[in-house]
Amino acid sequence: MKHGLSRLRELLDRHVVGHDDAKQALLLALVCREHIYLEGPPGSAKTRMAELAARGASLGFFFYQMHRDTRLSELVGDVVLERRPLAGAEGERIHQAIEPGGILTAEVCVLDDISRAPGEALNVLLRVLNERKFGERSIPLLTAIATSNPLRDEYYNEPLDPANLDRFALQLRVSGLIQSGDRAQARALIDRFAEGSVVEQPEPEPVLARAELDAAFAGLARLTVPAGVKDALIEFLRRLSVDYDCNETNSLLTDRSFLVKAVKLVRGRALLAGRERVERGDLSVLEQMTTFRVPEEVHAKVPALIEEIVA
Amino acid sequence: MAIPELERLRAALDAVLHGQDDAKQALILALVAREHAYLEGPPGSGKSALARAVAEASGARSAELAFHRDASAAELLGELRLRRERRAGGERIAIERALAASAEAEVLVLDDLSRAPGEALAGLLRALAERRLGEHVLPLETAVATSGPPDLESSADPLEPTQLDRFALQVRMRGLVGARRFGIARALLDRELAAEAPRALDTEMRHALQRRAAALALEPPARAALLRAVERLARAAGSETALLSDRSFARAAPAVLRAHALWRGASRVAPEDVRALRYMLGRRVPEALEPELDAILDEAIAGAGDAPGAAGGARPAAADRTGAPPAPGGAPSAATVPVESLETRLAPLDAVAPLASARGGDDSASVDALVAAFAGRLERGAVQPGEDEGGSPRAFRRMRRLDEIHDADPVEALLLVEGRSPGGARVYRRERRNAGGSIALLRDVSASMEGRLARWAGEVVAGLVRVGARRRMRLGYVEFNHEADCFAAGGAFFHRRYRRVLALAARRRADGRTNYEAPLRAALSELRHSAGRDRHIVLVSDGVPVLGDPAVRSERALARQLGVKVHTVFLGAGECPAVLDEISRETHGLRFEARPGPGGRLVLRERGERR
Repeated sequence: MKHGLSRLRELLDRHVVGHDDAKQALLLALVCREHIYLEGPPGSAKTRMAELAARGASLGFFFYQMHRDTRLSELVGDVVLERRPLAGAEGERIHQAIEPGGILTAEVCVLDDISRAPGEALNVLLRVLNERKFGERSIPLLTAIATSNPLRDEYYNEPLDPANLDRFALQLRVSGLIQSGDRAQARALIDRFAEGSVVEQPEPEPVLARAELDAAFAGLARLTVPAGVKDALIEFLRRLSVDYDCNETNSLLTDRSFLVKAVKLVRGRALLAGRERVERGDLSVLEQMTTFRVPEEVHAKVPALIEEIVA
Repeated sequence: MAIPELERLRAALDAVLHGQDDAKQALILALVAREHAYLEGPPGSGKSALARAVAEASGARSAELAFHRDASAAELLGELRLRRERRAGGERIAIERALAASAEAEVLVLDDLSRAPGEALAGLLRALAERRLGEHVLPLETAVATSGPPDLESSADPLEPTQLDRFALQVRMRGLVGARRFGIARALLDRELAAEAPRALDTEMRHALQRRAAALALEPPARAALLRAVERLARAAGSETALLSDRSFARAAPAVLRAHALWRGASRVAPEDVRALRYMLGRRVPEALEPELDAILDEAIAGAGDAPGAAGGARPAAADRTGAPPAPGGAPSAATVPVESLETRLAPLDAVAPLASARGGDDSASVDALVAAFAGRLERGAVQPGEDEGGSPRAFRRMRRLDEIHDADPVEALLLVEGRSPGGARVYRRERRNAGGSIALLRDVSASMEGRLARWAGEVVAGLVRVGARRRMRLGYVEFNHEADCFAAGGAFFHRRYRRVLALAARRRADGRTNYEAPLRAALSELRHSAGRDRHIVLVSDGVPVLGDPAVRSERALARQLGVKVHTVFLGAGECPAVLDEISRETHGLRFEARPGPGGRLVLRERGERR
């Protein structure tokens, strides 16, 4: 693993117990410049991990807590009114523009509780995420990290529609250590707080330089993806579609996600593992790409399917 | 036994209110642990009085926010302010938040929190939790929120788990009369209560106490007891539904335990301080579990038989109820009785006396998994918004009335006010997740549904009633054996008398033989007259239909035709009748089965595809 990236991982480990998958996925998202979506119950360290990863990577950072009354201007910056007198008549012409701020000037943004945002703000937001452009202007955004509570009766959030979810290449479910019944990790967590060794609001030193992150991203393209891995990826998609009946009505197996982004992400896996060459095992990233893109019952079988294909 | 400062604080609380020991204790712990507290109770139980009393007695700078239906982020976090700067050829308008007075409070009272629309609270509660608002660090130590009990029939939404979890300490209060504490109630009549709590502490003393508590050692024996307690609670409550978050039980619980140890005057945290979790559980575990909480915590403190797999051993009482349920009545399988003899009766909902239910805590909680799955399924893709002032902004529309200006795009509102925008300002079109749809609950009460099965069926029904109530769905309730009793309100099959149906669901009835046809036909014939996508039937049964058409062919066809989803829940040890699977599959409903598992618990799972 590249040095700064491993330091970032250490930073996450120092402040958050467990959640290996989510930590790895966060690094992967940063390296590959993809967006990531974390869904989990309250108090399961989603926001903390997102914030740590973002701050530790010494990138321009924007945090926003979504709420019902989120206004677009809170996300993208202040409104500027340009007033010009009308030529040859009484009156003036008023033109509204945005002075970029918030998400338009950040390199990493954390969008907390994204499913609470009102449709009006969300539409614009997600278009910005997807195109990394606002109007005609390119924005410096590398990675957006969105969190949300699970879609359950007690929460008032509303489901993101599938097209919106598709903006997030990586999608993970996070669960609490206590509630998932992982005794050792729950104990480790209690120990940390009992010892008082937890910093409530860490202001981490940047451990990963932008140049390192850029070099890693540039390095992705140089990693070899053997034909066997490509075949296995296609086989995975074939099996989902043929054996598990995943189709346009129940799934989101888009070419963009699975023929372009998936290849980038398996390269990212290899890079994080310090390899020059992608291995079949790197396809395990497909599990985190399918979380909300295939029906829940199919996703439960994805790990086994990946294992079978990799073997 | 408490240290003098905290004795004084307690006495100050006692001066304004009798009883409510748990709530008072929780507030004291909250203040010492610098955590937030949530008091829930019926009107007039003294929640608000206590919350204000602790603010007064603590000697802290305090403020109070009163919540209401239309509370918006602006009111809670500070008003939005438009800052305008001239610049060449125009101006820049920045929207900023002015800090509200509450931002200076050390103890903040949030009165009637649940009256605010849940979604509007997200920002406020994050600010409370992080004790920071933007770049401004709040001096806040403890926020005390009060709330009425969630009421199924009121239109206010209960707080959601994310928000509740921000309050480490939580207590459900009951009125003295409601709790039948007549002794204290009598004493209340004799004593004059102070209108205001005397000041017991000052800020210096308070901070000293907080520092002393934080410095107390929390060593491995107490940590182990904490972990045991949390594990036992999760098992007892059903981990799906209990709100035992890492944040609260790994981060906040140690602070609460330390506060409790300080209260005892101890020099370190002992396993017995785990009892303080009592004051954290309020809304985090199902209410049904409440009478057992002390026993669960005591067991965890004692730590006997502590092994990761000792679930069953911890609660031996469950074994008493384990007997295998009776097989679905000797199955004269082909005995199809002509349809005419299957009666459907309309029974007035109010004429039936609900029996007091014998509480069965041991296997109660696992039903919640079904309820959660059902609610989740109901949710996906079921957003049918209707315009509603309390809803989420989804798009802009033209302003219709001048008083809508508060909800307008601020910049456009400004232009409008200045007379520079003849077209008016755009305002949000607020919409709300659809409150509507219908759900008919069909519960088997045939002779085989006795004992445990009847209780489980009742819990399934009760859980689903709650789901329906949350969505303001129209509800139909049918108990069936060879006949179908449709409980109607005011002559209508579908109604919104949720509480009444809950009471009925607690009854145990077991007689007669099973038929599916009459109840399905009754529900479908009612649904035939309604429209909409969200129409559901849930059939809860333990056995094979022995009367009527066992394959209910015409009802299945009708359900498909109407687009009604029929969900099925099979209870018991026997083989799930194939017809239940077929009904659900054909109508895109859920299929569940609940079987007796080890230790007499109900093990509930969704039935998968059969291969």
